[in-house]
Amino acid sequence: MAAAMQLNTLMSNMFATGLLDDQFQQLQMLQDPSAPDFVAEVVTLFCEDGERIIGELAKLLDKPAVDFDKVDAFVHQLKGSSASVGAQRVKNTCIQFREFCQGKSRDGCLKTLDAVRNDFYDLRSKFQTMLQLEQQVQASFYPKQ
Amino acid sequence: MRTEERNGVAGAGRDQFPVGMRVLAVDDDPVCLKVLETLLRRCQYHVTTTNQAVIALRMLRENREMFDLVISDVHMPDMDGFKLLELVGLEMDLPVIMLSVNGETKTVMKGITHGACDYLLKPVRIEELRNIWQHVVRRKFSTRECVTLDTYEECNKPLSADSDYAYGQVTCGSPDQSGRPSKKRKEYHSEEEDEDEDSNGQDNDDPSAPKRPRVVWSVELHRKFVAAVNHLGIDKAVPKRILELMNVEKLTRENVASHLQKYRLYLRRLSAVASQQAGIVAALGGRDPFLRMDAFEGLQGYQAFTSPAALSSFSAHGLSSPRNNQAAVVIQGRSIHTGSVSSTTNNSIGDANKYHLSLQGNQHGKLAQGLATSLGQAQLQQKWMNEDNGDLSAILCGNSLVKGMPSTLRSVTSSTLLPQDQVECTQAKVAIQPSIRAPPASLELLEGAVGASSDPLESRVSQQGALPLCGFSGSRLPVHGPFNNNGATRLGDAFSASFRPTNDLTVARGSKVGASSFGGTIHLSPDTEQKYWSFGSGNSFRQKADESSADSLLDPKLVWSSSQLTSNVDAHHSMSQRSNNCSINIGHGARMFGQISANASPVVPQAKIDFLFSGDTSMARNASESSIPRLQTELSSSTCSFDGLLNSMIKVVTQLISLYLVYHPSYFKEQNQFLEARNPFLFIII
Repeated sequence: MAAAMQLNTLMSNMFATGLLDDQFQQLQMLQDPSAPDFVAEVVTLFCEDGERIIGELAKLLDKPAVDFDKVDAFVHQLKGSSASVGAQRVKNTCIQFREFCQGKSRDGCLKTLDAVRNDFYDLRSKFQTMLQLEQQVQASFYPKQ
Repeated sequence: MRTEERNGVAGAGRDQFPVGMRVLAVDDDPVCLKVLETLLRRCQYHVTTTNQAVIALRMLRENREMFDLVISDVHMPDMDGFKLLELVGLEMDLPVIMLSVNGETKTVMKGITHGACDYLLKPVRIEELRNIWQHVVRRKFSTRECVTLDTYEECNKPLSADSDYAYGQVTCGSPDQSGRPSKKRKEYHSEEEDEDEDSNGQDNDDPSAPKRPRVVWSVELHRKFVAAVNHLGIDKAVPKRILELMNVEKLTRENVASHLQKYRLYLRRLSAVASQQAGIVAALGGRDPFLRMDAFEGLQGYQAFTSPAALSSFSAHGLSSPRNNQAAVVIQGRSIHTGSVSSTTNNSIGDANKYHLSLQGNQHGKLAQGLATSLGQAQLQQKWMNEDNGDLSAILCGNSLVKGMPSTLRSVTSSTLLPQDQVECTQAKVAIQPSIRAPPASLELLEGAVGASSDPLESRVSQQGALPLCGFSGSRLPVHGPFNNNGATRLGDAFSASFRPTNDLTVARGSKVGASSFGGTIHLSPDTEQKYWSFGSGNSFRQKADESSADSLLDPKLVWSSSQLTSNVDAHHSMSQRSNNCSINIGHGARMFGQISANASPVVPQAKIDFLFSGDTSMARNASESSIPRLQTELSSSTCSFDGLLNSMIKVVTQLISLYLVYHPSYFKEQNQFLEARNPFLFIII
């Protein structure tokens, strides 16, 4: 059960530092025998989708003439997914990001993009650890023959 | 990304509604979609998901019966969520719930005015999703009214009803969830339910309750009813005699009695409005026919009415209760000055405060009264409308009035309108002028006036009368500026459902004047979604208020079904003409209701709300016909096409409703409640 304890510690830490909020807990509560991998699926989707969006944002902001509307649309999308997952910090950074978009400030956007990227990668690595630990815990409870 | 379609087995689990309710979820964000899907599954709904709006539309178009409810994100790359909302509301008449991480008021408003029956914020919580089934039920009940008399369906039939329809239909008593505008409707329904104790009410709280045959007051039936009542005289109309006159099988005295009770309330409401109008007319120094004068007075009164105080009084009271208040206010506020007429109108106004019934009964005899009533009502309506930016209030007014109005107007107009249509026109003009002065209020007045005037002659009079009014009002309205269409022609019964501030009211139509009076102009806010407002006087408007693109506000779909209209050939013609004219005049493509009605009878695929006000067309209250509200739609497309009309109506209504809701949420709620309670004839779906 070292895995279980580690998982526990990790989760508490993520909540305590504001990386996750209670929406994530709601998702955890939704997981049940009818949807056994729900959290894992959602988290994985979030990681993939978030990666994609950040890539798009980097490309858009790289252009000489930035299309802030498109940037805003992507940020809005990332905000939506992070809100749905409970990724609080990423969501908050997105809110700031949108302000820079609306202000059409390229520098502001670039800076915030970096912040979003950092927060996102941080969250993602923790999510990956979490998933691994969960698998270990499951394996130990339900050893496969 | 998921694109898919997991499907909801059609029919499976429908019997245990809401378990098994079939939901279509649309969101381009895979994370959100997945979460939403799981949440919905957890609520035991059947969920189908797609991440593209176009696919969703395709699925819906292929088989509309496959789903009960649609939940859609607002921001999507392939299609704007609001657009999808509108389309679904228009084409399929399904309730649509919007979802977004953006909770800004204006965005929510937009959703409502475009016809969304609800607007949820992400992240969505399961508690919120547990109650979305009520939207389905509500809608279903709303549409039920339009069913024919021999509908013995259980109210509890599973529901694909739209919850947000403010139909007077029975509601499942779903508790209000929140203060959102859409919720108001729920309340409204609940209230309606409570008040509707007669056998016509549906009680669907318990699906397993013993089936009881339900009498549905279709337009035809109502028309017969009104004819019988008018024949007997409103004072002398007793259920037993009415039943005899109507000669309808399977109708019991109790059915008639409860319906009569509602009708009386409706008339009372109308009279309140009419009195306002009468005041205006009187002020104008109305000329001969009472009707005209009344109309003018009404207009004037109306204008006066629009004064904030007056308006506030209205709004404060909502439709139901305030009827008298309003009427009273109107009277006070107005300069009900009419020369000889004024006295009459005053009288009528006074009457207006009371039951309109009395007016009705004697309508032939008492033109002035009738006029006053209708005017008053029209005024009230308008007033409300204007008050709230015109849109919502108008709708509300319209709604409330509609209920009562149709009959009242009809009687009023018919009685008052005597062959002086032409005269009326001029008078209407006059009347309108004063009203024009008043800003939004005038719109309303016009409407009222129009309504009143339209009624004058018995069979056609109303129509024609209305026209003149309309015409004038129309012209006048532009003067005012921001009126919404409301002012424009409210023909006789026409109830301008929605006022679009930007539209010139049908008044523009006024040019047409002459001919058949246009029942009413329904101004549908462009955004209005699908709701079709069915205007009592037999005009059935279909509006799809649903999530009108314009605003998520009300999107109720008001369905105007003018069964009556269709029945009156003349009416149609006149109306069509009018509508043509009107539409031409009206920049916004308001559609003459008449047109719609004409088309409507066969149509209305989207039946959003079918409001059948079966006014009594037979009574020659063409008012109903004439009172066809002008639909003004933002759609610039063919104005006279039924579809266009519907769309515009929906939009207008939706907008109005939304606006109203926004501005007077409480009012609206009251109104809705009132409407629902009172009006089996008028359904406003928002």
